[in-house]
Amino acid sequence: MASISSATWQAIQLLISGDPDLWEIILISFRVSLIAIALATPPAILMAFLLAFGNFPGRRLLIAMTNTALAIPAVVVGLTLYLVLSRSGPLGEWRLLFTQTAMIIGQIVLAFPLLVAMAHTALQAADRRAWETARMLGASKIRAIWTLMYEVRFGLMSALLASFGRIIAEVGASMMLGGNILHYTRNIPTAIALETSKGEFAQGIALGLVLLLLAFILNLLLHYFQGKGHIAA
Amino acid sequence: MKQLLFRNLSKHYGKRLLFTDLEVPLTTGQCLLLTGKNGAGKTTLMRILAGLDKPDSGEIQVDQSRYTWRTYRPHLQRQILYLHQQPYLFEGSVWDNLAFALTRGLSRLEQTQQIEEVAAWAGLSALLNNKAKQLSGGEAQRLAMARALLRKPSALLLDEPTANMDHSARLLTLEMLEDLKHQGLMLMVASHDPDWFQAVTNQQIKL
Repeated sequence: MASISSATWQAIQLLISGDPDLWEIILISFRVSLIAIALATPPAILMAFLLAFGNFPGRRLLIAMTNTALAIPAVVVGLTLYLVLSRSGPLGEWRLLFTQTAMIIGQIVLAFPLLVAMAHTALQAADRRAWETARMLGASKIRAIWTLMYEVRFGLMSALLASFGRIIAEVGASMMLGGNILHYTRNIPTAIALETSKGEFAQGIALGLVLLLLAFILNLLLHYFQGKGHIAA
Repeated sequence: MKQLLFRNLSKHYGKRLLFTDLEVPLTTGQCLLLTGKNGAGKTTLMRILAGLDKPDSGEIQVDQSRYTWRTYRPHLQRQILYLHQQPYLFEGSVWDNLAFALTRGLSRLEQTQQIEEVAAWAGLSALLNNKAKQLSGGEAQRLAMARALLRKPSALLLDEPTANMDHSARLLTLEMLEDLKHQGLMLMVASHDPDWFQAVTNQQIKL
């Protein structure tokens, strides 16, 4: 018990003192996950839009596949992409394995189905009169889409935050695709796993506190946006 | 264009026949009243006339020219505006809602003039900066009519326009409908309470 409390105290000191190694890991985590979310969001929302309002063969199958993809463990995504990106894999020539780019690809694959599923749910609940009214008032399709997206903006923000929360805390894909290289691909979850295995609890707890704080902030924001969404509806 | 005459309109909802071989004339400066019980297909018919939903069959005669509903649909979507029973108002102010409907390429001065003119017509001048979603039922309906008018449509189809309105708001809506007739619009009003609209009605269809 004493060792846990002293390690936690050390962890807080590390955070407050601005320990460069610790903060570099935090920055790498945020950088990789923010880029992944930024790249995954536009195609995910487009796909959610097609699933919500499109009428094409295979639509229901696509919805079922997206929902199934939600349940795929991060480590399986990591393994699959590892095989694809490793030297003997089909994209081995690109030399992406153990780079931040590989981590970003892994996190995109993880975030995409969650983004699609949550955005699809939000768009399905949208008031179709918004689309019809916009179109009847002369709006182009693009402008009508923006109008509809604005209508469900709180639901879309919830999708974004939940997906960001998922990928910044995942360890399996980041470990396999990034290789946990210090100053380059070591992020918060992989660093926690490493430090814990070495018995260096202070840094692990410090990084855990950052994740905990992030989860708390994301949940507060999610609660705020979901509440707003209900009021708007 | 003096008249849009819809012919041979038929529509099933599932296995239930809503209407068949229906003829609907929309005439400049006249108001057609559409009556019928709840579920008779009034809303469906109006949505078909506005090009929002497809009929099973139907054709359109525009003055002397004839078209199928399908080929004329893009024109319907430009010429006819359908107002939902509960109009959808965009986020933002009354001004923002009116500005949404303005045609592109207008100068700032022209935009202001058009918005102020139509707001005055609808009795909304004092509410231009108010949030649209916080308007009363009557004010929302008037805003929807004013907004539609900015698109300069040939016809306006109003679905139960006085539902949930008090007496004075209903009278104001009737006055606006009468004025729209004088402006030369083709009007169609769906209502299960036809007595209210007798003063402005020229023709009536019962489903």
